[in-house]
Amino acid sequence: MSSFALSDITISARAAVSAVGSGKDAHIRAMETLTTGLRPCDFDPVNLNCFIGRVEGVEATAFPAAQAAFDNRATRLMAMALAADGFDDHIARVMSAHGPARIGLVLGTSTSGVEFLETCYRRRPADGPLEDSYSIRHHNDHHAVTAFLAEHLGLEGPAFTISTACSSSAKAMVDAAQLIQLGICDAVIAGGVDSLCMTSLYGFESLELVSRNPCRPMDAARDGLSIGEGAALMLLEKGAGGPYMSGYGESSDAINMSTPPPDGAGAVAALTSALTRANLTPADISFTKLHGTATPINDLAETAALGAVIPKETPAASLKGLIGHTLGAAGAIETVMALDAIEAGLRPGTAGLSDIDGQIDVTIQQSSQPAEMKHVLCNAFGFGGSNCALILSAR
Amino acid sequence: MSQKLYVNAAGFTAPGIDTIETLHAHLDGTQIEQPEGWKPQPQSLPPRAARRLSAAIRLAVQAAEQITPALPPEAAWVFASSIGEGDTLNDILAALCREDIMIQPVKFQNAVHNAAQGQFSIAVKAEGPGTSIAGYDMTVAAGLLKAMMQIVLEQVPTGFVAFDAPMPSPLHEKRPFDVPMAAALALSPASSDQTIAALDITCGPVNEALTDPDAPVAGWLMSSNNPARYALPLLTRLYRKDPTPLTLHLSPSTALTIQVADA
Repeated sequence: MSSFALSDITISARAAVSAVGSGKDAHIRAMETLTTGLRPCDFDPVNLNCFIGRVEGVEATAFPAAQAAFDNRATRLMAMALAADGFDDHIARVMSAHGPARIGLVLGTSTSGVEFLETCYRRRPADGPLEDSYSIRHHNDHHAVTAFLAEHLGLEGPAFTISTACSSSAKAMVDAAQLIQLGICDAVIAGGVDSLCMTSLYGFESLELVSRNPCRPMDAARDGLSIGEGAALMLLEKGAGGPYMSGYGESSDAINMSTPPPDGAGAVAALTSALTRANLTPADISFTKLHGTATPINDLAETAALGAVIPKETPAASLKGLIGHTLGAAGAIETVMALDAIEAGLRPGTAGLSDIDGQIDVTIQQSSQPAEMKHVLCNAFGFGGSNCALILSAR
Repeated sequence: MSQKLYVNAAGFTAPGIDTIETLHAHLDGTQIEQPEGWKPQPQSLPPRAARRLSAAIRLAVQAAEQITPALPPEAAWVFASSIGEGDTLNDILAALCREDIMIQPVKFQNAVHNAAQGQFSIAVKAEGPGTSIAGYDMTVAAGLLKAMMQIVLEQVPTGFVAFDAPMPSPLHEKRPFDVPMAAALALSPASSDQTIAALDITCGPVNEALTDPDAPVAGWLMSSNNPARYALPLLTRLYRKDPTPLTLHLSPSTALTIQVADA
């Protein structure tokens, strides 16, 4: 079997939309200044005492008229990511170079367009049918945003959706690389999306995992997460020009749907596997972009796992104090931010963190600093015990 | 470029067809009675815990456990479902319509698309990589593509499970089908004395001449409209050692072409 190495694949373009804004400059600025995008919950009809990472301008953004059937909050976020930093121009370039049948698409999402379905449920008569115009395929279907993007762009290669809760779009990166490694595609668009919705907000509230304050990852007083929304896209293509994903590792906790084991054993397996695949030693890692949700248990389990694999002095930080937990989109958005940080020579700190939890035995980066970073570890973990670790490397 | 995978076991579950052997008998002409109120009854979930889980999860687990003995503990698992947890989604949406909104925590954590994969991993202690894939009516093809990539690139045996269960009203009316169905394959990068057949798989432009998704398989299952039905032609060819190529669309113009070969 002949296949391409991960180092033969470059992440040649990227774009993210989150609560701190749209595109590279907004995200670098937020990481430099640690200015949070979280704000008191003003997302109708949610009535919860919490903070959210809401994207500005979703309702007002232009949506492609030919795809009006797909119009909902999640596809709008994706349309915003597509327009950010000229990402769509890069797609046009690879489409023309390789043809639409050689371009793949893999997106990760946990809730897709369910926000619109919530509205339809609430406005239907009691126990009545959904309105005639409602289409599952265009809205709450897990594949809906992927189908929207494929149809909007005229892609003809393989297109599918990963839905493994909060690890979804990190795992989409793995599949995208594999499509190129096996020679099935010449370029793959990988990314993720999740919108604010009642399901996620009230669901995490029911688990008592939502903080009443902006989330404080790794802080001694952390008391839960802040839900965010957003979308991100990356273009992976054959070639060795820019940053690349040098390794990935995946595992299952196989112990509980929503709580990792205290030692983060599953995360250890994913981290170790990523290092092995990247052919790196633990000391090669310059920085770890934590999953860092700011729930008491998750942050302890993740840092226990990190300390078991990576030298304790290697700095690590969570980005969720800036943008909130964007759930299925987190893997992709935070990978884009890690690439932004590598390019900007910036080692981001942890917004919301003031007093590091004394039980955490790894180096948590509190403030942002200039730093050259060669290999960045990116963690994403999700319900179902789904663990994914990516390593991003500069050339 | 064609890739070769080896099939070490197959599984199937639908009303009245609790095992792959029953499906094989049905393919040979045995009539199936669809029992009133049929429910999947997986063996690997503790009965009390199973009662709290959705029909979709129990369905997927019942198919998955048929192939588990043919896979090592470190196997990767690819679960493929178009709908995932329709019942649980409906329960949550209904709760969100009430004045005093209360979602049951256990419902919420089992509402994720990967609930079946997660619950199965817990039940059988499957700690390897696990994923959960959706692709509307191309879900089976996308899942097989992922399984193929995992096997060829990682050289790891992989369990593949495709499943979908009917949704309750009012979602049902928007994607109507009545027959729950789950199919499973234990796949391996190398042949062994367990191997029952090989699969030659290519991924590329659709060859219209080969497109025959509705091969002569059990009519009521194939006409069920369940997105998992696209696994049936492959299970049928595997049982009959039928080398007729099978086309499974990944997009309107890209498809997997799968051919059953001798091990």
